[in-house]
Amino acid sequence: MLLDSELRGRLDRLAVTTRRRVRGVWGGGHRSVRTGESLDFADYREYQPGDDFRRIDYNLWARLGSVLIRVFEAEEEAPVRVLVDASASMEFAGKFQTAQKMAAVVSYLSLASGERVRLATVPGPDRRSLVGPWGRHVAAWPQMEAWLEQLQPAGGTDLPGAARLVIGSGSLRGPAVMISDLLAAGWQRSVDLLGTGAGGVVVHVLAPQELNPDLTGDLTLRDVETREELAVSMDGRAVSRYRERLDSFIAEARARARRAGMDYVLVPAGPNAAEPAIKALIEAGAVR
Amino acid sequence: MNFLAPAAFAALALSIPVLVLYMLKSRRRVLEVPSIRLWSGEDQFVASAIPWQRLRITSLLVVQLLAIAVFALLLARPFFRQETLLGPHTVLVIDTSGSMAMGDRFEAARRSAFDLVADATDENLVSIVTAGPQPRVLAAFSRDPAALRSAVEGMAVTGGSDDMNGALRLARGLATPDRPTSLLILSDGGVTVPIDEPVRDARHLVFDDTGSNVAIAGFGSSPGEGDTRLFVEVVNHGEQPADVDVEFLVDGLPSRVETLRLDPLSAGRRVVRIDAGPGQVVTARLVHGGDALPLDDAASIVLEGGAGIAVSVLGEGSVFLEALLSSLPGVSPAVGVPPDLVVIDGASAATIDRPAWLIAPSSPPPGVTFAGRIENPVVTFQRPGEPILDGLDLSNLAIAEAQIVVAAEWLPLVRAGDVPLILLGEVSGRRVAYFTFDIARSNLPVEVTFPILGQRIMDWLGGGRAAVAGSAPAGTPIDLAPPAGTVPEVVLPDGSVQRLVEGARSFAATGTPGLYRVNYVAADGTRSPGPTAVRQFVAAESAGLTRPIGTVAPDFVVGDTGSLEREWFPWIIGTLLAVVAFEWWLAYGRPVPRRRAVAA
Repeated sequence: MLLDSELRGRLDRLAVTTRRRVRGVWGGGHRSVRTGESLDFADYREYQPGDDFRRIDYNLWARLGSVLIRVFEAEEEAPVRVLVDASASMEFAGKFQTAQKMAAVVSYLSLASGERVRLATVPGPDRRSLVGPWGRHVAAWPQMEAWLEQLQPAGGTDLPGAARLVIGSGSLRGPAVMISDLLAAGWQRSVDLLGTGAGGVVVHVLAPQELNPDLTGDLTLRDVETREELAVSMDGRAVSRYRERLDSFIAEARARARRAGMDYVLVPAGPNAAEPAIKALIEAGAVR
Repeated sequence: MNFLAPAAFAALALSIPVLVLYMLKSRRRVLEVPSIRLWSGEDQFVASAIPWQRLRITSLLVVQLLAIAVFALLLARPFFRQETLLGPHTVLVIDTSGSMAMGDRFEAARRSAFDLVADATDENLVSIVTAGPQPRVLAAFSRDPAALRSAVEGMAVTGGSDDMNGALRLARGLATPDRPTSLLILSDGGVTVPIDEPVRDARHLVFDDTGSNVAIAGFGSSPGEGDTRLFVEVVNHGEQPADVDVEFLVDGLPSRVETLRLDPLSAGRRVVRIDAGPGQVVTARLVHGGDALPLDDAASIVLEGGAGIAVSVLGEGSVFLEALLSSLPGVSPAVGVPPDLVVIDGASAATIDRPAWLIAPSSPPPGVTFAGRIENPVVTFQRPGEPILDGLDLSNLAIAEAQIVVAAEWLPLVRAGDVPLILLGEVSGRRVAYFTFDIARSNLPVEVTFPILGQRIMDWLGGGRAAVAGSAPAGTPIDLAPPAGTVPEVVLPDGSVQRLVEGARSFAATGTPGLYRVNYVAADGTRSPGPTAVRQFVAAESAGLTRPIGTVAPDFVVGDTGSLEREWFPWIIGTLLAVVAFEWWLAYGRPVPRRRAVAA
């Protein structure tokens, strides 16, 4: 069980926020790219036969002599797509378990707030993406939880492919949540592509040992995904240089997400990562 | 520990480059990490790692240094000195006479021989001579312990007496001028012919295991009135009285049992009548609780007259002919029995009713006509490929006078011009050999070919009928006369069959007492019986006497024993292989738990 009842109770009181208009199927609480029946005035347009007479602005007709009708905003559900990085690099130090947990958090609170949710894994050069079913109510949670639980980390990562999967499929438009360590080529491109939709959030999962490595001695590091090897003489200076590169990497990811219109949350992996992650999502404005 | 090449310890210097390599060796652990992206560029700083590192003593280093040490030890060729009886060239004279079968003598001698031949080297050559009834060289100048051991394993004790003098002569014949030769006599010392003078450059290893023994010392037969009388003599060589049952078997089937009570060191004799006839095999066997020499507990004879050839001589005959017929094994005069074949010497051969050997008959047999006489004929033709003449040279045959016969259907073996001197033919389906000259008026009887020719003529006339080769001491060869195109095959006393080469004229492996049956096997597989021979245990061997043989120890070996430099290399090579295998296992074969890093 990814979410206990207490956590689900907390998540029931939260909802996903969107900064851009969405295009859903059913009505909801998010501004849509369509016009509709809400109370928020949107625009005028010329009357067309068949329009509702009650929306004709008679004042303007009297003043301008043109028959114009008032157009209002539409509010629809937000189709939320959750991408879970299930590559081999996520296997280390509980990163994948944390990613599963974060996917469960985002999915559940989205379902609880009435959004349409779909789960998918990030594809790799050597494997296709696993795409779960759409869910639109909390009643769909057990099915989604089971789908999440059966995932196993393996293979490589194609983050741009994941972005194309989200923004290119169907006519729905909603926020995307990418949960990954971003330790793959093309992560910048994937963030840019995801930002072209309805925004979303990048949940950057890194292990504590990745954030603060404590390696010493001469090592040959082997990339678990590409099998490339790198000889490293580990000392204080090397660790210092690594931290500089790591800080730069995190800062770049944060800036890239922001520029793309997405929120960014760094989540250290661990068994108790959910609580601070939820807090960080709230602080980032991705959840309210 | 001594070393043949101590300078080889310089190979220990190989450990220096190994240590240097260990100090220069970059011991990098391989760690799998999620990604090396964040470490990119770090490899440019690797060159700054300290090339000379502190030497870490690992188990692999220790094992490798150990391997170098063992290798250097191997090159240094350590050895130890081992005392041995072997000299530069040692001839083992091993007694295989019947007395060596007593108790554990022969097996103890064999074990000693095994131990001795194991020390054979390039510097200590070994030859092996058996001192049985017929001394034989089993191995000569061998440095191969395996081959020598195989030769010793192939030895078997015989039932005959030793020819120790012959064996010593044979051993002396193996002496080489380039290296001193010594003799090691492995024997109980109970030699048949005493050795008068001490054997020089020799030692005698005495094997004197002994025990009580009851033996059949004599066994014979004579025809009775419708039965056969058997004579058996049993000797008790022990110092306790013995009650012995003597069981008589006819053709392997029990016939009767006689009980003898024997005082210590005494003999008992018994004459019994038994229902057996000529040609049958009669065996006397002691039935008792066993003794130290089982080989002399049984004896067999073949009752004569049955399987042999009864010959009748018609005509004047001659002393030469009588001497010939009496000397041929399995041939006996036809006294009281119808002859199997006749020898017609100067008499009429007009009527032939059985196989016949015609010697200048007064009248020719059917199918042959006289055409005159010839004096002093000279042999000009000897039929090639004829088995009867195989190996015989009759070119010097001198004949006073011969008949000139015309026999178109007969096969001339020897001719003088166109005049046949010896012919083979058949009359009414019966084989006939025809000598056209009187052998008494020729030099044939004094030629060495005469008995052989006579034996072959008799064998041919007999149609391959079995001849009893008689009884003789164990080890006495059996003479064979295989018909042309046949291979002799000998059924040994233990029932096994030994096939000889084609044309073999003798079978010498008769050391085991018992019955030997010879068959001649033709190319188409048909067997015709050959001689049946009995080889008896030599009674003198039953006493199992032991005595030291006088020897003079060789003077080229200091003290009583010599010494060998035995190298340790088999053990060192084994150790080296074990160390190398362990090193390989440490380096590659040992299961190492997979270590994973968590650094990106």
